[in-house]
Amino acid sequence: MKKWICTICSYEYDETLGDPDGGIAPGTKWEDIPEDWICPVCGAGKYDFEEKKITPKSASTAKTIVSDEDLRELSFGELSALCSNLSKGCAKQYRIQESDLFNQLAEFYKSKTGSFKENQLSDIASLIQQDLSTGYEQLNSAASAAKDRGSLRAFAWGEKVSKIISSLLSRYEKQQDILLEDNHVFVCDICGFIFVGKELPEVCPVCKVPNRKFTEIRKEVK
Amino acid sequence: MHAVRNVTLCTKDCLCLYVCPTGATDTETGQIDPVKCLSGCRLCVDACPSHAISLVPEIYPPQQEKTNTVIKELRILAESKVKQEKIAADIAASAKNPVLRQLAKAISASNRLLAEDLLRESGYMLPQSKNVQDLLQNLLNTKQPEGFPKDAAEKLLKILKENNINRENNKMSENKTMENLMAAFAGESQANRKYTAFSRKAEKEGNKKAAKLFKVTADAETIHAIKEFELAGHVGSTAENLKAAIGGETHEYKEMYPEFIEAATADDNKAAVIAFTYAMKAEEVHARLYQELLDNINDTEEVTYFLCPVCGNIEKVRPDKCSICNVPGDKFIQY
Repeated sequence: MKKWICTICSYEYDETLGDPDGGIAPGTKWEDIPEDWICPVCGAGKYDFEEKKITPKSASTAKTIVSDEDLRELSFGELSALCSNLSKGCAKQYRIQESDLFNQLAEFYKSKTGSFKENQLSDIASLIQQDLSTGYEQLNSAASAAKDRGSLRAFAWGEKVSKIISSLLSRYEKQQDILLEDNHVFVCDICGFIFVGKELPEVCPVCKVPNRKFTEIRKEVK
Repeated sequence: MHAVRNVTLCTKDCLCLYVCPTGATDTETGQIDPVKCLSGCRLCVDACPSHAISLVPEIYPPQQEKTNTVIKELRILAESKVKQEKIAADIAASAKNPVLRQLAKAISASNRLLAEDLLRESGYMLPQSKNVQDLLQNLLNTKQPEGFPKDAAEKLLKILKENNINRENNKMSENKTMENLMAAFAGESQANRKYTAFSRKAEKEGNKKAAKLFKVTADAETIHAIKEFELAGHVGSTAENLKAAIGGETHEYKEMYPEFIEAATADDNKAAVIAFTYAMKAEEVHARLYQELLDNINDTEEVTYFLCPVCGNIEKVRPDKCSICNVPGDKFIQY
């Protein structure tokens, strides 16, 4: 009997125990679990699990030299996110005036962010695929080589949250509105983890912040 | 370092009001007044039972260095997340299906947080860092779209720069002022005792006018000394003050006076030897009395003290004669 680990929240699926609450009888082998089964803790898909005792992936340490000139200017959307984050940073230092001012800048640049020609959920899904297949792997390599702990943390959380969004998008494609029916939708204010379900876990499965730091996204009927 | 209150943790026990030496916690806004707060004093931090008060530094460490390779990878991902945020936001704004709008709104919010985190790590963690100041300056120097809140950017830049300068200055002047308060306290305290001695001398000489002026001025210096001592943060709760008093008296009778007596003996100054010996023995009594009171701090029983006017000995019962200097008991002053 084997064990499988959720790469998002570290939930362990033990073939001996199964997942009776999720309709998986004890003794069910991994390959016999239906493809639409999800992690009972965080909602990750079956493909986000790895067999236990797998040796951790070692990041390649290839270095690319990048000069200052290679760094393009920040777009309006990026400036908006940068300023909204600085606004939060000021609030945490109890600098309310500065927090409001950064927020003004964030709102301004948000209003100037133009729409893209891509406008479907499937477009988001393909962007995430690109992030997961190349973006995060390259960030991991670069941050590991530079021993940049902050960026490694952003990598760890960001990759997990991206996987969750990707999983939600493919589930929505199959189940459509039923996915959210009778469920609550919450977003973790700290790492962006999206929870779809009936009851929030005590702490965020990705960044481990207590669940009072989640914001509920309600269905609004126009 | 000054104290701040996390209002979501505060359980209104209000112990900070009792322990704060300057009244900085006594505000209408629920926040601690940074102007009154004594740098690094932390009495309120330690007293708060709900751990709602912490110290925030005036000066933060500089932004951690980021390599261009890491910045490049963070930016590539941030660009993608910003795009996903916008696509999701447009779907959330325009879709007819409310369930799709709900999902898109969550995805948009999530991508904003992902983009924020990536950009924060690309060298913009601290609002007061040089990178942030340079960014703001760059925005002001280059052409921005119509409606750019120039005032907000200018104001921010000004506050962030001023904060850095003022805090450096404050830090230095605060330390200097603390030193000065204690120097003034020492000077005023000596002046009080000096004028008291002069007043007694004038009284003996029958010069009542001079005696009175020395007495009133001595009292005036006491007012100054106490104020300066309080501002320097050396007056605590009575239990704390008793401990401080025991410390001072013990140092005097165990270390200071024995050394002085030895030196006075070597100098053959018999009067000084006697004065130091009387004082040393009396300080030991004082330390013991303070300790007794500290051990029974909640005891409400009334107590009478008798002070020896010659050596400073204190007794709780009027003695036949002073155990230190042999002065008859009827000379003792009752308190």
